[in-house]
Amino acid sequence: MKRKIAWLLATIMILSLSLCGCGNSAAPVSEEEASTITIWHDKEDAVIQVLQKHLEELCPDVTVVLEKKSNLTEALKMVGNNPTAAPDMYFFAHDKIGVYAEMDILQPITEIIPREELDPYMGNTLEAATYEGQIYQLPIYYETLLFLYNRRYMPDDAVPSTTEELYAYMEAKTNGGHYGFVEQHSTPYYAAGWINGFGGSILKEDGTPGLDDESTIAALEYHKKFASLMPGETEYATVNTLFNEGMAHSTIGGPWLIPTVRESGMDVGVAPMPVIDETQTPISPYMGVQGIQVLKLAAERKPQAVEQVLRACMDQQLEIDLALASGCAPAREDCYSEAAIAEDEVVMAMKETAEHAVPMPNRPEMDVMWTVTGNLLTDVNMSGKDVAESAAKAQEEALQLIEAMK
Amino acid sequence: MTNNGTNKENCKRKDALISYLWAGPSLILIALIVVFPILYTAYISFTNMNVYHWNNYEFVGLHNYVNALLVFDSGFLSALLMTIFWTLVNMVLQLVIAFVLASLLNIKKLRLRNVYKTLLIFPWAMPGYVSILLWKTGMFNSQFGLLNQFLAKLGKEPVRWLGTNTMAFISCTVVNLWLALPFMITIIDGALQSLDKSYYENALLEGATWTQRTRYITVPMIKPIIAPSVVITIFTTFKQFDVIYLLTQQVGSKTGSSLHTILTYAYENAFITNNYGYSSAVSIIIFALLILFTILGERGGKGEKA
Amino acid sequence: MRGKKKEKLLLLLVNLLFIVICFGVLVPVLYALSVSLNENNSLLSSEFSFIPRKMTLENYRAVFFDEPILLWLKNSVILAVITLGISMSCGIPAAYVFSRRQFPGRKAILRGLVLLYAFPSLLSMTALYKLLTPMGLINTKAGLVIVYTGTMAVFALWNMKGYFDTIPVEIEEAAKVDGASPMQIVTRIVLPLAKPTIAVTAMMILIYVWNEYIFAINFMMGSDTYTLAAGLNSLQATEMSGSWPVFSAASLVVSLPILIIFFALQKNMTTGLTSGGVKG
Repeated sequence: MKRKIAWLLATIMILSLSLCGCGNSAAPVSEEEASTITIWHDKEDAVIQVLQKHLEELCPDVTVVLEKKSNLTEALKMVGNNPTAAPDMYFFAHDKIGVYAEMDILQPITEIIPREELDPYMGNTLEAATYEGQIYQLPIYYETLLFLYNRRYMPDDAVPSTTEELYAYMEAKTNGGHYGFVEQHSTPYYAAGWINGFGGSILKEDGTPGLDDESTIAALEYHKKFASLMPGETEYATVNTLFNEGMAHSTIGGPWLIPTVRESGMDVGVAPMPVIDETQTPISPYMGVQGIQVLKLAAERKPQAVEQVLRACMDQQLEIDLALASGCAPAREDCYSEAAIAEDEVVMAMKETAEHAVPMPNRPEMDVMWTVTGNLLTDVNMSGKDVAESAAKAQEEALQLIEAMK
Repeated sequence: MTNNGTNKENCKRKDALISYLWAGPSLILIALIVVFPILYTAYISFTNMNVYHWNNYEFVGLHNYVNALLVFDSGFLSALLMTIFWTLVNMVLQLVIAFVLASLLNIKKLRLRNVYKTLLIFPWAMPGYVSILLWKTGMFNSQFGLLNQFLAKLGKEPVRWLGTNTMAFISCTVVNLWLALPFMITIIDGALQSLDKSYYENALLEGATWTQRTRYITVPMIKPIIAPSVVITIFTTFKQFDVIYLLTQQVGSKTGSSLHTILTYAYENAFITNNYGYSSAVSIIIFALLILFTILGERGGKGEKA
Repeated sequence: MRGKKKEKLLLLLVNLLFIVICFGVLVPVLYALSVSLNENNSLLSSEFSFIPRKMTLENYRAVFFDEPILLWLKNSVILAVITLGISMSCGIPAAYVFSRRQFPGRKAILRGLVLLYAFPSLLSMTALYKLLTPMGLINTKAGLVIVYTGTMAVFALWNMKGYFDTIPVEIEEAAKVDGASPMQIVTRIVLPLAKPTIAVTAMMILIYVWNEYIFAINFMMGSDTYTLAAGLNSLQATEMSGSWPVFSAASLVVSLPILIIFFALQKNMTTGLTSGGVKG
């Protein structure tokens, strides 16, 4: 008999364990809650410390909790409309807003901040933040890839200004474990610069893939000859180490690479992207805009606090400090007249690149394009398959996957 | 608990009830955490839950299943064959290597046994994704990986370890063995320890060789002990996703091999669409296939599985 | 005499073999160790050596003092202990019943359990989220414990049941004749005999809880609620941020407790049945 009771108790315990804490989801917003704003992000500590400090000064009556989430995008999908678990805002790149806007968990920024107050922002950052005519992100800073070179091997006057010059340089210098130039040639984010420069595209504005467009195929064909002078395996760590150790004279990399290579004592130079001879357009990489998105729930439940924090994030000094802490370029045009920004070689180079850069597509369709394009690039650059054929196959696959999304 | 009660029927029912009481908590947990998600997935597979209908999803009948058949094309078929081949190779290697090592660990005079065991177990203690990352970048990287640095010292050409399907298969198998052997060694070692030593003494007296002893005594005797763990490992191997995906297919660091198991194939062709209805349908079909294999396997293996 | 010599030579060979194998197995681990002791923030280097040229313990200092690792450790330990407790106290009786008693539904459930293992669990997260949310268990340790125990329950039941099957019933029957209650039979006779499988099962559950990070990250909201594995994952170096050496150091620190426990448990895993324990 005793053991029966024991098991009964155990069962009850588990059941009660699983029932405790029920029913707090419908509770009204308490005052304390209404003045607390939780922001998820994926940024490094240095950036977040700056943001925290500024927000504390700019909106003292709001408690801002900055929470680092390592799989922010997946977590948001799951908790986006659960008031007890969702954050109020998140600080992330603009390229996921399409997904969340379609999921109906994002509040357009212009419903909190009037559109005309966003005028000081650079046009392409606002373009990046726009999905289906609505602005879903308050831009803070943006990044583009940069042409970086090691002055020890590539003096300033040897920096190629066109892609043919770059190719000639690569042919001359690539031997014995040294490379004239390396990049992550089979990663869509990096190859996009070449494709965009040819006028091609991975995903067009209307959400159809552009992989078998003539211009995209031409870009892949042209890019292939560069890839053949690079090591076969080119994921991030390899390219980074090759450049860092001086085995690659130049690379196309993000601003985040610069502090690391400077730390190891490299005299690193930043140059404008080489101009593609055939199209007379520079390599035009994707532009990623980092900014604040507001969740619909938060906008409904605590409008005052949300607006205060958003307005604080529009502060010029905050933008400048965040941009400098992250090594990226501020999104407000008026920041560039400030000395701290105007004198920063890297930031100014990024601004120049940004003039040709294409905002990363923010449509939901892009989620499948990364994989399909990655496979296409691998087929072309690593497995040596026919470009037009592979592109046609990838296009078909992409269309099929996009169809399957609906 | 008297078994000789007059009402046998009643007693039986009581017996069953007691059994269920003992097993109850465990079964409830399994129902909640394992069965419920399967049912839920089945439910979702009949809806159009996707990015465009996140909160207002509705029933769409068999629509997703019709679409899902698109995934089950020739690519899927070869992925399926690859998965079977992968499972077979891995299981055979795992069992043989683990058996040999465990037998050697059981040599009576091996004093450092526990040290070896602890060292051999190390791969088990590390989170899997960390180990795979270490293998990918530390060992297999064609520019800086240890393997190629070693080859370079010998004056050999560098090898693209993950570049072709064959090389990728071998490399993935090595990593999978590295990850899975500690468990298998522990299980077989435990089984060997529990064997009755007197059988051996008799056999030794009769002059049986090591091979004979292994074949006629050891293997038949440990079989029932290790069978459950082996069955579980077969499924884990069949379902293996991390090793192959993280080594060769991560976006941004593809290696050029197009090695696919059914799960990585389904991932690339369904899960990335963010269409939960659609990917649920694919999962359910895969689940059904696996069940089919299990039943066929059981018929073939004739009750080998406990 | 010759036999002895031969035996010694054999033993030497076996020892050598194990040393080589152990070294081979440990190469990736040593690699991580070397990276973690290195001053440069790089996972790769063209001239790798197991002993870094510029040695530093800075990364280990960073792990212990810059990250809330002790808090994560506390969370992990709490989760591991509770999960282990519940798993074993649910799993052992269930495994015993399935091994020893005949009751309607037994066969069907057993077969069903294996099949459950076939489900690709890639999708179960959303479902579990939907299950836990209305119960208010998201962002609670109880929620994670339930997920963990449930996930490992099939394994625990199946694995221990298999081992119980190999313990002869006669021993129990003898005890029954002596008037022992079922509870006594389990605790006094079956449990001691089943030590190896209990140890292995416990080890498996422990490692699972220790290294699981996907649920921990998704179901727990703040970084102060992270487990070691979840914290480790958040340290993982991405393209833009993070430090490989700190990450490697943290990985090793996280693995260490498991190794210690394994070493301690080894006795239990190896002292199995005494002679005559297993039916053929």
